[in-house]
Amino acid sequence: MRCAELSRSQAYFDGEVDAISAADIERHAEQCAECRALLQGLGQIRTAIRRDMTHGRAPPELHARIAHALDQETAIEAPRPVRRGQSTWRVRPFWAGAFGGIAGTAVTAALAFFFLLPSPSSPLLDDLVAAHVRSLMPSHLIDVASTDQHTVKPWFSGHTDVSPVVADFTQQGYRLIGGRADYLEHQRSAVVVYQHGPHVINVFSWAASQPRSPNDASRNGYRMIFWKVGDVQYCAVSDTGREELLSLVRLLQDASHT
Amino acid sequence: MLPHLDAAYRFARWLSRSPGDADDVVQEAILRAFRGFDALRGSDAKSWLLAIVRNCHSTAHRQQQRRAFVPLPEEHDPRDGYAMIAATPDPESASICRDNARTLDRLMSELPEEHREVLVLREIEDLGYREIATVTNVPIGTVMSRLARARATLKARWSTGVEGGL
Repeated sequence: MRCAELSRSQAYFDGEVDAISAADIERHAEQCAECRALLQGLGQIRTAIRRDMTHGRAPPELHARIAHALDQETAIEAPRPVRRGQSTWRVRPFWAGAFGGIAGTAVTAALAFFFLLPSPSSPLLDDLVAAHVRSLMPSHLIDVASTDQHTVKPWFSGHTDVSPVVADFTQQGYRLIGGRADYLEHQRSAVVVYQHGPHVINVFSWAASQPRSPNDASRNGYRMIFWKVGDVQYCAVSDTGREELLSLVRLLQDASHT
Repeated sequence: MLPHLDAAYRFARWLSRSPGDADDVVQEAILRAFRGFDALRGSDAKSWLLAIVRNCHSTAHRQQQRRAFVPLPEEHDPRDGYAMIAATPDPESASICRDNARTLDRLMSELPEEHREVLVLREIEDLGYREIATVTNVPIGTVMSRLARARATLKARWSTGVEGGL
């Protein structure tokens, strides 16, 4: 007769049960020869596979081939590379968080081509773009991952100097995915993170001590829209189009007035 | 530089069972990811990329099968792998094979694809059930039963093939 706990024993072996169930199963396996044998067999298989069967790493030729293919790809998208004078930041779409680094310059050229607009020079703009780009690197995006505004908002009070408006706009296409603390203008600013299609939008907020920044700016292909509510300065940063960013800004402005 | 490229490559190797095909599949998957055809779901880039690898593999595999059903004479190559794939395991040759790694490699390759992929994702890529469910696009319960079947088959064949078990 087959033990009814075999499936749970496998889940235990794979680290898929909580501590209480784990203790249960360990106790059970002391009594049950069938589950003991299963666990032993699973261990043998795992040991053998992890020792001998990896098929190793992608060969250097494949790295080179893919880098070349990505360069070709961006070359098609950006026939006329555009160079910006002082640009030091590479522009990356969201996926580049997963593949950080490769073909970055080509992507910069591709995106700068679409967003080439005059922008005032300001250390704040540089800081905002730097913070946005940094957030797209693996595991820098979110400190508190939640789609619930009632989880994200209280988190800020312990970690930042401002309490920004936090709301989810999934219905309108802007999904709240979490929050983050960042350092801007010599203070701990709050960043609310939204996902819009494949794009990430960072909404920065900090207590405004400086005169108001321009309403609208772009840097290295990133669009920034500034607005102010009371004494809190907001700035939304993303690589979306202006209208898409503006829609979120309007939603946030409406939310902070209700 | 490309995180998860190694994982993508290993997974493609196990799916396609041929280094050349695996290279093509990985390249296609990375380009698809780059073009943003498949939006990143959640924040788990590894599962996301492996799911794209899997889609690219099944697309390529279907194309190969279509070609195989209506072979053009000049395309026909006796070295095409179908005879090899169809080859049945030979217990006698397994028992004389002293190279455990090669035996294990062969036994894993002989598993049905839906069993092989969950085993590889669990044991080699160290993904959890939920992530495996995302990559293979089946419910977690199915992941668990396929994993159990894969392990049972592997263990049984290994035990009959090699004296003294694993």
